[in-house]
Amino acid sequence: MKRSAAEILREYGPFPEAEQVHGVTFDGHQVWFASGEKLNAVDPESGQITRSIDVAAHAGTAFDGRHLFQIAEDRIQKIDPQTGRVLATIPAPGGGGDSGLAWAEGTLWVGQHRGRRIHQIDPETGEVLRTIESNRVVTGVTWIDGELWHGTWEGDGADVRRIDPQTGAVLERLDMPPGMGVSGLESDGGDRFFCGGGSAGKIRAVRRPR
Amino acid sequence: MDSLITAAAHALATGDPLGALKRVALRDDPPALALRGIAMAQLGDLVRAKALLKSAARAFGRKEAVARARCVVAEAEIALVSRDLTWPAKALDAARATLEAHGDRVNAAHALNVEVRRLLLIGRLDEAERMLAGFDPSPLPPALRAAHELAVAGIAARRVQTQAARAALTRAAEAARVADIPALTAEVESASLVLKTPAARLIAQGKERPLLLEEVEALLSSGALVVDACRNVVRDERLTVSLATRPILFALARALAEAWPGDAPRSTLLSRAFRAKHADESHRARLRVEIGRLRAELRALADISATNRGFALAPRHAREVVVLAPPVEERHAAVLAFLADGESWSSSALAIALGASPRTVQRALDSLAAAGKVQSFGRGPARRWMTPPLTGFPTILLLPGPLPSD
Repeated sequence: MKRSAAEILREYGPFPEAEQVHGVTFDGHQVWFASGEKLNAVDPESGQITRSIDVAAHAGTAFDGRHLFQIAEDRIQKIDPQTGRVLATIPAPGGGGDSGLAWAEGTLWVGQHRGRRIHQIDPETGEVLRTIESNRVVTGVTWIDGELWHGTWEGDGADVRRIDPQTGAVLERLDMPPGMGVSGLESDGGDRFFCGGGSAGKIRAVRRPR
Repeated sequence: MDSLITAAAHALATGDPLGALKRVALRDDPPALALRGIAMAQLGDLVRAKALLKSAARAFGRKEAVARARCVVAEAEIALVSRDLTWPAKALDAARATLEAHGDRVNAAHALNVEVRRLLLIGRLDEAERMLAGFDPSPLPPALRAAHELAVAGIAARRVQTQAARAALTRAAEAARVADIPALTAEVESASLVLKTPAARLIAQGKERPLLLEEVEALLSSGALVVDACRNVVRDERLTVSLATRPILFALARALAEAWPGDAPRSTLLSRAFRAKHADESHRARLRVEIGRLRAELRALADISATNRGFALAPRHAREVVVLAPPVEERHAAVLAFLADGESWSSSALAIALGASPRTVQRALDSLAAAGKVQSFGRGPARRWMTPPLTGFPTILLLPGPLPSD
């Protein structure tokens, strides 16, 4: 396993409109984050919130190229980012213990927080296709170039780690500086991860190792 | 944090404990236990709340020290509100240190405030004051700032420093207004009554009248010799002599002060000090001995001289002698005074607060109950006493947020 310190490229927030960051995703232009009662879009250049959608947003957030997916209580909402309307709802596999959310190859990946596992589910029905066990609390999930990454945050320690999607074995690990948590995770498709900072109300851009 | 925990915490924060319970009622993971505990506390089921928080604290792992410490603080606050004074102060102290070490200043300040309120309640003013010394409440959220100022006002009022008490109450009212919690505003208002209702009675030259706390303060610095029946001390501006452990001497001092500037007849002194109806020679001899002892105790404050009828008090420096008495005098007044806070007390907590033996307190409670002045509920160790009517638990809970890793 490769292990290194996470390199923080930039911090966004805290935002006066939103106290906490529960989930993050990236639509190619903007970073979206869940703040409890709202989904907010941040311009990664200016660092300003450009718009907000009023929708329950308690944990992970994902984007499939057209729609936003957002965990609220024990379900996953499919949201039209243009209108802000909830188009469909499916049950979340962790029954409310769900934390991270990612989209990849036509399926949703859901991190189950204290359950310490990641479920792959059918985005139409919510049916669980398979489950990967982790040995840590799962707080955020993302796929990038065939690599599965997730965030962990237990007490003082938080990191971003790449795991083997078949076995769950940890392949690589980026340790966050002390006091910085990871409450959500998304890659921008390039050299950056966006990490939610929980009650710090911040989003941090972390360099993706090559 | 997972989604239902986030949703439940959000519901709690917006004053919807039932909404929080609905979301985590069936879950037994540590954050859910903590949230359920706090929701139950807000709903008034303090026994269940305490059990839930205890199991949450146990279930949080070693790595989740902050979450565990917050549970301990919440548990301590519930213990305080339910007047469970046997709460081990050490656990709270350790939790506060943990919160401070992890940079959770708000909850560390809350823990400090719970400790101070407990010390205040059991009358350990010096320790409470030491803990608050140099503490800056300005970075706290308004609700905690109000609670802090209430503690400061409580200390000042008990020290009869009315200006400091009034200033702290004004700051508390302002903070409560910003916090926008009606129960907190009501609590500040009822605390402010301490400055508006008589705190004592003045007995001087055969007359008596009620005194506000600020009049008591003025009296204590007026240069008069004060025989203080609220604290069982005799004092003037420069010196205080405590007779708290000498009830007979204090009773004599008070009888002499009430007679001043005249003398007190032997029969009065005998009946007040010894409850003797008729004076025989042995009583007179005993009175001479006790007056001799009192003379020695008060040497620096006053002289006591024999007269034809009895004895007379002559202050050395003061121009006047007065008696300061509690607003209402009856048997077991101290027990009633503690119960007058409207809380329900265990007899063991009252014994700690009064510095009396549990048996003495139990006897006092039994006779007060027979007279219909107090009532109890619960059985065995869970039995609690309060003054009617049953007012519940008005002391507001400002429990710390339960969210771990967050």
